[in-house]
Amino acid sequence: MIRVEDLEKHFGPLHVLRGISLEVQKGEVLVIIGPSGSGKSTLLRCINLLIEPDSGRVFLDGVQVNRRDIRPEWVRQQVGMVFQSFNLFAHLTALENVTLGPIRVLGNDPKVAEAEGRKLLARVGLADKWNVYPAQLSGGQQQRVAIARALAMNPKAMLFDEPTSALDPEYIREVLDVMAALARDGMTMIVVTHEMGFAGTVAKRILFMDAGRIIEEGSPEEIFQHPQQERTRTFVGKILR
Amino acid sequence: MAAIVATPTRSSSFPLGLSRFAIRGAEMALGAVLFIILLEYVLQFDALDPVLWNLYLPVFLSGIVTTLRYLGIILPLSAAIGFAVGWARISRLRTISWPLTVYVDFFRGVPPIIIVIFAGILGPSLLPSRFRSEEIGILIGAVALALHSGAYQSEIFRAGFMSVPRGQLEAAQSLGMTRGKAMAYVVLPQALRLSIPPLSNEFAVVVKDTSLLAIIGAFDLFGSSNIFTAQVLLTPGNQLSWIFVVWTGVALVYFLMTFSLTELLNAIDRRYHVKGLEAVTV
Repeated sequence: MIRVEDLEKHFGPLHVLRGISLEVQKGEVLVIIGPSGSGKSTLLRCINLLIEPDSGRVFLDGVQVNRRDIRPEWVRQQVGMVFQSFNLFAHLTALENVTLGPIRVLGNDPKVAEAEGRKLLARVGLADKWNVYPAQLSGGQQQRVAIARALAMNPKAMLFDEPTSALDPEYIREVLDVMAALARDGMTMIVVTHEMGFAGTVAKRILFMDAGRIIEEGSPEEIFQHPQQERTRTFVGKILR
Repeated sequence: MAAIVATPTRSSSFPLGLSRFAIRGAEMALGAVLFIILLEYVLQFDALDPVLWNLYLPVFLSGIVTTLRYLGIILPLSAAIGFAVGWARISRLRTISWPLTVYVDFFRGVPPIIIVIFAGILGPSLLPSRFRSEEIGILIGAVALALHSGAYQSEIFRAGFMSVPRGQLEAAQSLGMTRGKAMAYVVLPQALRLSIPPLSNEFAVVVKDTSLLAIIGAFDLFGSSNIFTAQVLLTPGNQLSWIFVVWTGVALVYFLMTFSLTELLNAIDRRYHVKGLEAVTV
């Protein structure tokens, strides 16, 4: 579904990604962990081409998509993204947030988009909040609307960039539950998170990144119980405590 | 611009806005009545002296029309300039950003009255001789005032654009929107909302700055009334109280123009107000 080969990215003097390769199968959930500044967010943004990689290849469904002749917008509309800071459109209601993409990008009929949008809001447990502005929602609710907004584009895969890091502890569970349900429904997902419970139960594979490189990759048990690399051991030791 | 802002809103704040408007109107009417009582009975001026108004009314009315005509040029032009320059300065077009910074600094740093004098005197001399006239000079002066206010407004719009968190653009792009669509549907509606309150402040200044055109010979409300009062002074046995009445009338009209304009922008602000939007920090 998603394949990345030898991805390199510099920001000025910073070498953020140093040859990243990975592959995610259809319906698979991949969790990426690693200290901050290790390039996890940049990697996600390179996959949906929000950031253009310096070199390397990104494949979606076997097609290389970081090419001059493929518009990055076309790639982004097929890969949903959920942000750490939600980034809901502040001037639009929950429902309008969810329908904006289908109406303005896919050109769907507003009536149809609204019906679909209401279904998606129900799916994330917010059917009654359709007419509410983001600022009136809790962080957990905002993030669930953001997930619905990404799903509205009917994406082939979803990228989650630390979706629960900005949440108060009492709202984390509801967002993780929505994500777990999504995984059960067969969504292909790449999730940057430090929620070890989620990683352990939902992900088949965990990837540890540090300083722009993939240090270690394995099942949750391999990474959490028997890490091979010293750096993985140190990091996992810190977050599991 | 307005078409972009006009996203459907469910709030029914317009009737409420109108009733607010009515309340403010009543306040003002009361104020005007008290003011006339002050003039008539306390200061013993005859504000409605028919001899005065017979002479002054045509001057007064044509002055109002002329001022409104200049405003009709200056307000839209300055807003268009301000919007375009504000946008250009946040855009990635670094090459045009620098000269625009010079433009903004220049027009903010020079007194508008000097800008008007230069525009009115030097402007026409740059034109072919058959186009040269006093009216053209005043028109160029009006354009100069628009450039002056445009410099201020560009900073208002620029601040509006910069107050929209970067994540908004990123989220729009992540849905597959082009930069243009993201701007039109996500960034602009938020930036313009944030720009309205300071814009209404600036428009209030523009209304009164039109009076500066009198210095290059415009027969606007201020200019024509100025000439009228000068004639009153030169008339033997002059009525000094007329001068107070004239300037009171002129001030009242400027006040009404400013007030209506700012109330209109306030109504637009309320119409597009989003609950808690100003509290959003990401």
